[in-house]
Amino acid sequence: MLALVGLFMTPPCTAQEHAAPRDVSPRAAAERELGPIGRLLASARPGDTVHVPAGTYRGHLRIDRPVTLVADGAVVIDGGGSGDIIEVVAPDVTIRGFVIRNTGIDLDQENAAIRVLAPRVTLESNVLQDILFGIDLRESPDSRIIANTIGGKRLDIARRGDGLRLWRADRAIIEGNRIHDGRDAILWYSSGVIVRGNTAHDCRYGLHLMFSDNVTITDNELAGNSVGVYLMYSTGVTLTGNRLLKNRGPSGYGIGLKETDRFTVRDNLIAGNRSGVYLDGSPFTDAQPGIFEANTLAYNDVGFTILPSSRGNEIVGNNFIDNIDQVAVAGRGSLDGNRFWKDERGNFWSDYTGYDQNNDGIGDFVHESQTLFENLMDKRPALRLFLFSPAQQAIEFVGRAIPAVRPEPKFTDEVPLMRPLPLPTWRPDVPPSHSPILVAGGSLLALGVSMLALGYERRRSGDGSSGEMPVRGAE
Amino acid sequence: MSTAISVGDAFASRRPPSMASNTLCIARRELRDALKSRWFVLYTLAFVVLGLAVSFVSAAGTGGTGFSGFGRTTAGLVNLILLVVPLMALTAGAATIASDRERGMLAYLLSQPVSPVEVLLGKYIGLGASLLAAISLGLGACAVILSWRGGVSSPQTILWLAGLSFVLALGMLSVGIMISSLTRRASAAVGVAIFVWLTLVFVSDLALMAGAVALHLRIDELFALSLLNPLQVFKMWSLHAIDANLDVLGPAGLYAVEEYGRSLHAIFAVGLSAWIVLPLVVASVVLARKSPL
Repeated sequence: MLALVGLFMTPPCTAQEHAAPRDVSPRAAAERELGPIGRLLASARPGDTVHVPAGTYRGHLRIDRPVTLVADGAVVIDGGGSGDIIEVVAPDVTIRGFVIRNTGIDLDQENAAIRVLAPRVTLESNVLQDILFGIDLRESPDSRIIANTIGGKRLDIARRGDGLRLWRADRAIIEGNRIHDGRDAILWYSSGVIVRGNTAHDCRYGLHLMFSDNVTITDNELAGNSVGVYLMYSTGVTLTGNRLLKNRGPSGYGIGLKETDRFTVRDNLIAGNRSGVYLDGSPFTDAQPGIFEANTLAYNDVGFTILPSSRGNEIVGNNFIDNIDQVAVAGRGSLDGNRFWKDERGNFWSDYTGYDQNNDGIGDFVHESQTLFENLMDKRPALRLFLFSPAQQAIEFVGRAIPAVRPEPKFTDEVPLMRPLPLPTWRPDVPPSHSPILVAGGSLLALGVSMLALGYERRRSGDGSSGEMPVRGAE
Repeated sequence: MSTAISVGDAFASRRPPSMASNTLCIARRELRDALKSRWFVLYTLAFVVLGLAVSFVSAAGTGGTGFSGFGRTTAGLVNLILLVVPLMALTAGAATIASDRERGMLAYLLSQPVSPVEVLLGKYIGLGASLLAAISLGLGACAVILSWRGGVSSPQTILWLAGLSFVLALGMLSVGIMISSLTRRASAAVGVAIFVWLTLVFVSDLALMAGAVALHLRIDELFALSLLNPLQVFKMWSLHAIDANLDVLGPAGLYAVEEYGRSLHAIFAVGLSAWIVLPLVVASVVLARKSPL
């Protein structure tokens, strides 16, 4: 109750001394000259709303009483390239509408734009630019992180910090944020968190769960990261309505699940990733099957990569559209423990070759994946080098023609769907304009025709002009 | 034979002609002959028809979704090019000198005041132009159809494919001409050319796959070895150019991007142009030294 003044705004010349502001005691800080925001805060009582006038402020800020800090107009807080920028040590603090930029780049100190060490904070509509760590919540349950933009420093991935990190922040709500050029957005030991409507691009892991249970992840768009969502050692996670696009880093999973249990993955669009879904030891127990339902997996290099350690998944009612390898087994073993159909309902496979005579929407023949080249690729990924070559077709042909070398089917779908399911979350890119390719094709045709004309024109006038053809040594 | 006479008539000219004009003169004759010949019409038609079929089938499979990049259509076209273009170029090159020799045409040509190198370059340029016509007609027709059908390929994709196919065709033409300069009979030359085609398209890849599995080749070795096959170079180059990304080719592709990055274009360019230059050099040496009769 007697938390007194502990806020400071320092001029840039002393910034160096505050590279590690956590080592500075509140009293020592209070003795320093207060910056303009610091003076405002010093006179605020708990529960007050402090309006910060527009302008650019340089320095570092510590908030040690429950106040609401609101930017009046364009307020920039510039860390001057050292240390953390804002440190929140009191609960129930709200920070709204600031531009916060330019932290240090010390990974050991984990320089962050906003570091929170207390519960129930609200960070809303802030823009974080050029920062190492963005928002770092430590032991701050029931916090709300809404509509912030977090842009990391364009460092090599090994030198970046996490755009968003929650450590023991149960029941937090993360909504409508945009994160780019960071390392991960990561939840550590945080249960009951809701992650909704965020976007992440050009990060390492768009969203990463470590030991975080009962997390709900909906309507996020994670595109162009190394991995979209990576769930590890977490239980009771629900992933619905997310878009996981073109995540193509060295692991390159749309959704990766490692030793995760009781999860539901529904209604997601998973496209253009190196591997749409990666299943490693999930579900971890047999408490509940892993549910994959109504997802669309399209144009991934591999739709599902499943380690043989994963058993008990029910993959039913999904669209598998033109993944180069629809389902891959990584390593030796089979997918026997996983189901691709249930109760007269399977998945839609774009490579299904059967037909539907009685028009009930279900293929009359079992769908078995057993192409020889896919099988080889799964066992030896290096052979992907020969994708798209005629040799690949030759191998497939041999596999079909000679039963002796035909591989065991990786999986069976006894009731494949004839038509893809509707795609509620489908939001295609801007429809491509047709005129450029028409121009390209037209100019190619024109080139060909002019070559023809060159040849034929010469033939017509051949004999007439031949007398003028110069030949060396005619003298 | 009227064409031969036209070259012979050139004696009438009193201007001192240069090497370039000699070469161009022969190139024109070669282009004219090629465009008249059955193989050109046949291959061009086949290329257009197959290309259209591939485009149609692929577009039907995807149902026009908004995703660009290395789609199914492009993959199908690359596959088609890998099969047809080398066959076209190899047989065209193989037929040219050997059949001239068989008919006594080569002796006649070389009795004129033109050097063997000029004959060779002239034939090369003329046939190259006819291949350019076939490729641009085929892919141009595909592009027009794709735009009409709302296919997902971008104009850059088609232009890159056309350009790289032409480079590949030039390389294979060069090999064909080398074969032609080394064999006496046209039928034998075409036979050898088809054997070489089979080797490049199927045998070498299959052998390399088997080798990779049996000998546990490292990915850098696998990548280096695959650079020896011009068809693989073409495939990797088109993937790289269209998608700026080779990771679809698995560990070896990732290795290539991480290890060589921006110089990949140069590596592929060297890998393909070696197939243009070296066989031509061999062919010209052979023609210059061996009795053409």
